[in-house]
Amino acid sequence: MKIKRILIANRGEIAVRIIKTARNMKIETAVIKTELEPNAMYISLADVIYDNTEDESEIPVFLNVEKLIDIALKIKADAVHPGYGFLAENAYFAQKCNENKLIFIGPSPDAIYKMGNKTIARKIAMAGGIPMAMGSEGNISNEDEAIVIAEKIGYPVIIKAASGGGGRGMRIVRKAEEMEKMFIIASKEAEKAFNDPSVFIEKYIENPKHIEFQILGDTKGNVVHLGERECSIQRKHQKLLEEAPSCALDDSLRKSMGEMAVQIAKAVNYYSTGTVEFLLDSDKNFYFMEMNTRIQVEHAVTEAITGIDLVEQQIRVANGEALAFKQEDVKLNGWAIECRINAEDVQAGFAPAPGKIESLHLPSGPHIRIDTGVQAGSSIVANFDSMIVKLIVKGKNRKDAIKNCKLALDKVWIKGTKTTLPFFRMLVRNQKFQDGNFTTAFIENLDRYYLNSEYEEMLAAWLATKLFIEENLNEDSISIDFKNGKDMSPWLLNKRINQF
Amino acid sequence: MKTNQLQVKKLYSLSSEKKKFSFPLPLKKTIRIGKREYEVQLKSDEKLGTYILWKNRKYPVEIVRSRQNKYEILFNDISYTFTVETPFSLQRMKVLNSKMGKADKEEIKAPMPGKIIDVLVREGSSVLRGEPVVILEAMKMQNEILSPVNGVVAKVMAKVNSNVMKDDLLVEIKL
Repeated sequence: MKIKRILIANRGEIAVRIIKTARNMKIETAVIKTELEPNAMYISLADVIYDNTEDESEIPVFLNVEKLIDIALKIKADAVHPGYGFLAENAYFAQKCNENKLIFIGPSPDAIYKMGNKTIARKIAMAGGIPMAMGSEGNISNEDEAIVIAEKIGYPVIIKAASGGGGRGMRIVRKAEEMEKMFIIASKEAEKAFNDPSVFIEKYIENPKHIEFQILGDTKGNVVHLGERECSIQRKHQKLLEEAPSCALDDSLRKSMGEMAVQIAKAVNYYSTGTVEFLLDSDKNFYFMEMNTRIQVEHAVTEAITGIDLVEQQIRVANGEALAFKQEDVKLNGWAIECRINAEDVQAGFAPAPGKIESLHLPSGPHIRIDTGVQAGSSIVANFDSMIVKLIVKGKNRKDAIKNCKLALDKVWIKGTKTTLPFFRMLVRNQKFQDGNFTTAFIENLDRYYLNSEYEEMLAAWLATKLFIEENLNEDSISIDFKNGKDMSPWLLNKRINQF
Repeated sequence: MKTNQLQVKKLYSLSSEKKKFSFPLPLKKTIRIGKREYEVQLKSDEKLGTYILWKNRKYPVEIVRSRQNKYEILFNDISYTFTVETPFSLQRMKVLNSKMGKADKEEIKAPMPGKIIDVLVREGSSVLRGEPVVILEAMKMQNEILSPVNGVVAKVMAKVNSNVMKDDLLVEIKL
């Protein structure tokens, strides 16, 4: 193995995840300690810590290419793992790593650039005869041009950031009157998030399923797919629950979509892990959406059903090794579900709920995998994403996996911040979800985002009454952990904010 | 005090969604489902903090806020707000509600810490209920902060690109 020490240019659970595999492979890891989270879990697990707490730069270190290269050289790393988010899909960063003789654990800068630019990616897919939603030829420069194209392909349309991903810089437009406002919002958001205001337009596929294929390639030209993930449970294009495989696919559809995904990857000489995203409509027509050139948050469900460690594969490919298996060796076993337990207030329409984790108790067992970067005492700061824990549960089949998930969810105990747990507790009991009868519009169409148990509410009412009696009727009191917050009621908050 | 309370035979817990739960006094330590009564225990230990034990299951509870007779309780990660009323205070509240005057201004505060991305109103401009006044970014999400009332903007405290703490005053609206 050429790679002896990896700088992880990331934080949180993905840094912890990478450390675990590197340790199994006897490779050292180096991480960066920041002022925002000097006591984060990932720091305590790494072999080498670069202290960046004194950094006064305006740019956060995980987005600072020059600084990261400098750190990697200083701590004598021979490879850099970007994780996801931050610079994971930044071709310039990958290029800079190469120029400085640092192995970038990911695809080539050229593949990142081509797939990262959605208009170029569309052209590549189109040239390969991959089915796609109709849309603009390239980027569009103003709302008038957008209106002309929208009239041609028909409303509704979706405006997307050319350099986008993760749901930002995306807006659905249902009529011409909304175009100006939405165009400006999407373009502004794209500029802020991706440093590139360019946007393009596509026909909006109503109520599709989000199906993505895990791709794995090596530098010898071998590319395989590791089956699909279904990520239709999302809100505002942010995924909340993912599963593998998808109940919407049969073997023949899996084969044809998988082949298309491999074909797209081969068109850009892809190596390392990647994800080809498709939308699947109710008639089982599929449309290429985009390719993500990184390891995904939801990679664990694929690992659970294939038995393949994707981070290990990334490292081996970066080390120049050929894939040790072929497409026909890839077998999908059982069913896996991932719940993203985030610091969000479900009752307030998933509003961010930063806070300090006072206590954290997580289940364990043969069906359960927990990926987390926090522990009791950790703060979920507003500067980073809101993820606390990824709960990954396996089963023999979908029904079994849902059953195991339901049991596991009741054993997750987090105090100190509100989380998405009540949403998942509702979801696993929802008939449509259980039947596999859901699309990306599932959450929007819910009456309530959380489990509404009559008995739980009654118990809470009982407790309120008991407290009132203790305070006003001088009965024996017992100690209760009071929090002196002046929190706004989530019902009120829900009425007062509107998330894009 | 004690003699007063003897007259109270029952208490009501009114939820913010207008559900009414009534509890006869003295308060029983059981909750009935169908024909069976199940014991409710409020417990606390070092590992789990405060919890309720009911039907062999532990539910995490936290008292988020309590003021006078109003309680916000986080029960199994869901927050419930109740006002506890006696039969007399419930009656009085109904009367008061029908006579109560209205406040003359509404303060819009930051519901969470974050950064002001845009301020959409100016002093003197009129706003309608549900109209966005400020765009606040927190946790990589942009949030439109909506006016809860119709009125005229009296003061704008929010500044573009500035960071705000939770409960910082953003905009004041004159009704």
